[in-house]
Amino acid sequence: MNYEVREEHGAVVVALEGDVDLESSPTARKVLLEAVKRKAPVFVDMSRVSYIDSSGVASLVEALQTARKAKTGFALASVSDAARRVLELARLDKVFTIHGSVLDALSQVKS
Amino acid sequence: MNDLSLTAPALTAADGAVEVTDHLELLAVMGRDFASTLDIDATILKALEHIIRHLHAEGGAVFLLEDEGRTLHCTSCVGATDITGLKLNSDQGIVGRSVQENRGEIVRDVAKDPNFNHTVDEKTGFTTRSILCAPMSVKDERIGAIELVNKSGGDGLFSQEDLQILEVLSVSAALAILNARMAEALVEQERVRRELELAAEIQRSLLPEAPLDGFPLYGVNVPARKVSGDFYDFFVLADGRICFNLGDVSGKGMNAALLMAKTASIFRCLGKTIPEPGRLMSRVNAEVCETATRGMFVTMVGGVLDPRTGRVVLANAGHEPPLVRAADGTFTAIAAEAPPLGIAPPLDPDDTYPETELWLNDETLYIFTDGVTEGYLSDGGTLESSGLQRLLNDYSGLPVRQRLDKVVAVLNRGDNALRDDLTVLAVEDGRIWAATAATDAGPAAEEVPDRNGEELLVLEVPARADRLKLVRNAVSETATLCGCDESVARDMVIAVDEACQNVIRHAYGSTGEGSLVLEIRRGDGEIVFFLRDFANTIDVEAVRPRDLDDIRPGGLGTHFMRAVMDEVAFQPPPQGGGNLLKMTKRIA
Repeated sequence: MNYEVREEHGAVVVALEGDVDLESSPTARKVLLEAVKRKAPVFVDMSRVSYIDSSGVASLVEALQTARKAKTGFALASVSDAARRVLELARLDKVFTIHGSVLDALSQVKS
Repeated sequence: MNDLSLTAPALTAADGAVEVTDHLELLAVMGRDFASTLDIDATILKALEHIIRHLHAEGGAVFLLEDEGRTLHCTSCVGATDITGLKLNSDQGIVGRSVQENRGEIVRDVAKDPNFNHTVDEKTGFTTRSILCAPMSVKDERIGAIELVNKSGGDGLFSQEDLQILEVLSVSAALAILNARMAEALVEQERVRRELELAAEIQRSLLPEAPLDGFPLYGVNVPARKVSGDFYDFFVLADGRICFNLGDVSGKGMNAALLMAKTASIFRCLGKTIPEPGRLMSRVNAEVCETATRGMFVTMVGGVLDPRTGRVVLANAGHEPPLVRAADGTFTAIAAEAPPLGIAPPLDPDDTYPETELWLNDETLYIFTDGVTEGYLSDGGTLESSGLQRLLNDYSGLPVRQRLDKVVAVLNRGDNALRDDLTVLAVEDGRIWAATAATDAGPAAEEVPDRNGEELLVLEVPARADRLKLVRNAVSETATLCGCDESVARDMVIAVDEACQNVIRHAYGSTGEGSLVLEIRRGDGEIVFFLRDFANTIDVEAVRPRDLDDIRPGGLGTHFMRAVMDEVAFQPPPQGGGNLLKMTKRIA
């Protein structure tokens, strides 16, 4: 798994790429929690996530919970089919705010 | 004169005859009362009233000997002064003298008797003038005395004749009291006997049920009394190993039986979760010490047999050394390396008892109590370990059940009470049984009936997170090979990946050690995944899908597996240990 964190229009965009699995989810967890601490809305770009397992989903859930406590925004964007299937299986597709694309997400921050 | 002299006694006799008839009537009434009731206190009181009326006394009391004859206790009293409950030393007063010397006393005038105890009169204000006292005894057994005070009418003093009558009546009373006491003792004995029966029944239920033929363990327990201080037990663990024990509680009575029940229960309870005998015995010791009865202890051998391999791990807490019999008839003793349970509380909760490992390949392990080695033979000698070895060799050709019965029969001949409880447990090479049992219990790992169809893939990888991608790719490619579309392939990847994660994280505890084997087979309209590991057998009950309404990280994997696959089930533990998971995905 690779990742990239960037700031765009006052929001933090975390782009995950590749397989978020048992091996890489500790890294994903750390990156997501650090992003949430920045006190800015966080969008996770999941367009290039080729696989995510239960441990990866758990990292997303933990980041969402932390953001809610800190009252900062946390949303997913451009979720790949592979990741969407897993979120559906976990019935978390309704729990997370999911934007069609990062651009859509950012436009909502601006407005 | 002659007439007179003849007449005089005749007259006296005739005078007395009227009286004696009355006395006989009184005796008959008393006898009837005594015979018709076991409420001895009420009957004595009634008899006392009869006697007082009959002998024209102002009052009277019945004293019974208590405290092994040291105390005279007034249990019934009639008259002006109630002294019921009064206790005297058994040599105190006129009543004391009468009892000690076992003869009637008449004190026509107490003022002239130095033994008279004035304290009661001083306390009550009653004036005692004359006392009549007769001991109650049957043969040599002294029971107490009846005492009457103050004759009413006349000179107020008792006569020698009064004493004779009282002596006769007191014998009748003594017999009645003795009868009632014996009846009471019988009732009590019967009650205790019934309770012992119940206790013995409970105790028998603590022993394991007789196993089926061929089971590698068999035990015999013959209590010397109703209840036993010995016990043995065995039970099959979830992974197919067999936990067993044999113990001997110090002492033989009910207290030993109760400590036996407690220790056996603790062992059985803890044994199911702690399959290492050294650690298990240490924990049992800690529990027994915590509530130990002063001075009581338990010697015990606890162990675990793996019937598939014949491996036995034992811990011996101060028990008679078990014997291992080799096929050639030689014996090896396994000495105790730790003190009995219940003596020394553990210094450290993680303490373990020393373990001994042995392999039963044609060998048999015998564990027994000292009631066996110290049991009396018909010639009066004791069996000893050497005698036991000889018997076990003599009967080595018999099946274990008959063999142990023969050994026990040598000691339990029925001609003599057993000196001590007899308990023997035999642990045999269980490999044949294990092989048969595995077939009976369902498919063994190596030849599963439904492992038919076509083998698509067998992949063994180290159980490590960084090998999961390899597994996923293999599953994905295999699914594609079978013509599954992308979404089905993806689902199967998810399920297998999560199953592998469970093995890595839970079965192996994320140690990075061990390996897992994935086997994929294609059957009629289905793809079957077998995932095998070599870790300790896990508690299948604990593997449950999470509650999806409870949104928390973790615990999702099992849910994914069940959501994606058509069937997910752990198979019986495969030979050689570990876990075997079977997942089935039906395909069009």
